[in-house]
Amino acid sequence: MKVLEKSRMRDLLAAIMAAGSRLVAPVEREGSHRFAWVDSAAEVRLPDITCDNTIKEFFFPRAERLLTYKRAANRVDITAPAVSEAPFVVFGCRPCDAAALDIVDRVFNWDSPDKTWNARREAATVVTIACSRADEYCFCTSVGLAPDSRTGSDVILLPLESGDFAVETVTDKGRAFVEKYAASLSDQKDTAAKIASVPQKADATAAAKWLKANFDSGLYADASERCLGCGICTYYCPTCHCFDIQDEADGLSGARLKAWDSCSFALFTKHTSGHNPRADRPSRWRQRIMHKFSYYPDLFGVISCTGCGRCGRMCPVDLGVLETLTAIPGEDT
Amino acid sequence: MTVKEKNTPQAGSIFQPTIGKIVAAKMLTAKEKYFRVVLEGGKPLGQKPGQFVEISVFGAGEAPISICSSPTQEDSFEMCVRNVGSVTNLMHQMEAGATLGMRGPYGNGFDMEAMKGHDVLFVAGGLGLAPARGVIKYVLDKRRDYGDVTILYGARNPSELLFKEDLSEWEARPDCAFHITVDRPDDAWKGNKGVITTLFRHVKVDPSKTYAVIIGPPVMYKYAILEALSMGIPESRILCSLERRMKCGVGKCGHCQIGNVYVCKEGPVFSYAQIKRLREGI
Repeated sequence: MKVLEKSRMRDLLAAIMAAGSRLVAPVEREGSHRFAWVDSAAEVRLPDITCDNTIKEFFFPRAERLLTYKRAANRVDITAPAVSEAPFVVFGCRPCDAAALDIVDRVFNWDSPDKTWNARREAATVVTIACSRADEYCFCTSVGLAPDSRTGSDVILLPLESGDFAVETVTDKGRAFVEKYAASLSDQKDTAAKIASVPQKADATAAAKWLKANFDSGLYADASERCLGCGICTYYCPTCHCFDIQDEADGLSGARLKAWDSCSFALFTKHTSGHNPRADRPSRWRQRIMHKFSYYPDLFGVISCTGCGRCGRMCPVDLGVLETLTAIPGEDT
Repeated sequence: MTVKEKNTPQAGSIFQPTIGKIVAAKMLTAKEKYFRVVLEGGKPLGQKPGQFVEISVFGAGEAPISICSSPTQEDSFEMCVRNVGSVTNLMHQMEAGATLGMRGPYGNGFDMEAMKGHDVLFVAGGLGLAPARGVIKYVLDKRRDYGDVTILYGARNPSELLFKEDLSEWEARPDCAFHITVDRPDDAWKGNKGVITTLFRHVKVDPSKTYAVIIGPPVMYKYAILEALSMGIPESRILCSLERRMKCGVGKCGHCQIGNVYVCKEGPVFSYAQIKRLREGI
C-alpha cells in the first residue's frame, strides 16, 4: 500500500506548493488550531482532532463580493469580479469536515447552481485524515458517519500505529493527486489503521421521525433557555449555509457582498411589516434542529449534520445540537 | 504564496441583477409609491402573476418586491412599494429616469391555467392589493377564460386605499363584482365599514367552481380563509401568497424557509391545503 511517512508530510506539502497549487491546512494561531491558507509547509501543525474552524470558508467565504458598482446620475455600472479559480489542496481536514461539502453541494445546486461554490469545489482536492482520536463532543457515529468516512474526500489518509498514514484514493481527482505526488509517498506492507472509537450517542435518523411528530415539544424551550443567540454554532458549523446579501457603500461606489448569516438571530426572519414567524428563541432553536435533521433530509436526502461537535465545543454555554438529539425521548441510546 | 482574496466567477451568476429604468413613479398614499420599470434592452420580465423580484438599490442592497402588473403588459412591469426599510426608503426618493437593479422573476406565481374556466374570488387586504392587482389585471385582460370575478378589498382607512383608478374601473365594470371596506372610515366615507371579512356577506359563490385568491397581512389570512372555507370552497382552491423575508430568491439563503419549504421557490403562492401542513406558515 501507498504510505505517507510522518517525517515526509512536510515534503509532500512543499511539493504541492512547488507545483503551483495553493494549500489550505491546519496551523496553530493564538493557541488554536485553524484551517488557513499556508505559505510554507513549516507552518502546518496537525491537531489531534479537527480544527476550531471549518473548511467551508474556503468554498463559501464569510463574505465575498458578488459585484462592484459605480453610480452616477441616473445610471449605474456593475462589474462582476473576474473569473479565476486556481486549483488548491485542502490537507488535513477530518471526515466530518469533508462530508459537509457533499451535503452543502445539494442545496447550492438544486435547480439554480451556485457557480462560485461549484468552481471552488472543482478547483479543490480534499485530502482528509481519518481520526485516531475523538473528544467528548464528537458524535459522527450518531449521524451515520464514522471517524474514517470517505464522503467528500478525494484522498483519505488512514493513521497507522507507526505515526505514518496509509494513503487511499477515493475519487479520480484523488487518484491524480496520488500519482502527481508519488515521489513524496512510499510503498509499505499492508498494516491495519488505528481508527478512533466514537460511541454512538443518538440515532439521528430515528430522531427525525420524532421531531416531525413533536413540533410543539417543550424540548426546544428547555434547550434554548440558556442559548445566548450569538450564532457561534452556525458560524462554526460545517453545513450551515444560510447567508445574507448586503451592500457596502463608499460614496457613489461600493460592493455587494454575500455574507454568512444565522437562523439564531431574531432579525433573520423578521419581515419589514414587523411580523416575525420565528420571534422567540425556542422557535429558532427548533428551526436549527429541524433544518438539520428533518427538513434537509426531506429535501436533499441527507442529514445536514456531520457530528463534528463544534456547535457544543465552541458554544459559550456548552449547548450543541447533540444535547437536543440525546434529549429526544427514546433516542438516548 | 499568499492568497487572501481571490477573484471568483460571478459573471452570469444567479446573484447578478439586470438593470432597469424607472419610467414612471408616483405616490399612491403617504407610505406607498408606484413604479413602472423598463428593463435594459426593453426585454419583457416574463413573469407569472404572483411572482416577485429582488430589487437592488445599489448602496442599500436588495429587497423582495411583488410585481403588481400583469404579464399581459409586456413592455414594462410595475411595483407598489411601502417605505419601510433602507432599500424602500431610497426607492421612495427615486423618480422617473432613475436606474435600479432587478433579479427575477422568482417564486411559483399563480397557476392561471388551472384557474381557467373557474370563478375567481379575490380577497385583498392592505398592501396585499399590490400582488393581487397583477392577478386581477391578468384575469380581466383574459376575461373570457374565467367565470365570475369578485373582488373584495379592505384597507385600514380611506387614505390608505391603493390604485384608486383601478378601484373605480373595477367598480364600474359590468363583468366583475367589486366590494370595498375600511376599518376606520373618515367623515366622507360612504361605503362599508369594518374588517374585510364583513364583505363576505355581500358575496355568493358557487363553491364547486370557485378559486379564492387571498392576499393580505398574516392576521387577515386566519379569518379570510375561515370565510372561504365556510362558503364551501375546497382547501385546494383557496390560494394565498405568503410574505417572507426572501433574500436570495433561489432557495439557498434560508431566510424564507418554513418547514421543508423554501417560500421563494415553492411559494409564495400556496393553497390552504398546503399551508395547513406548514407550521410557522401564517
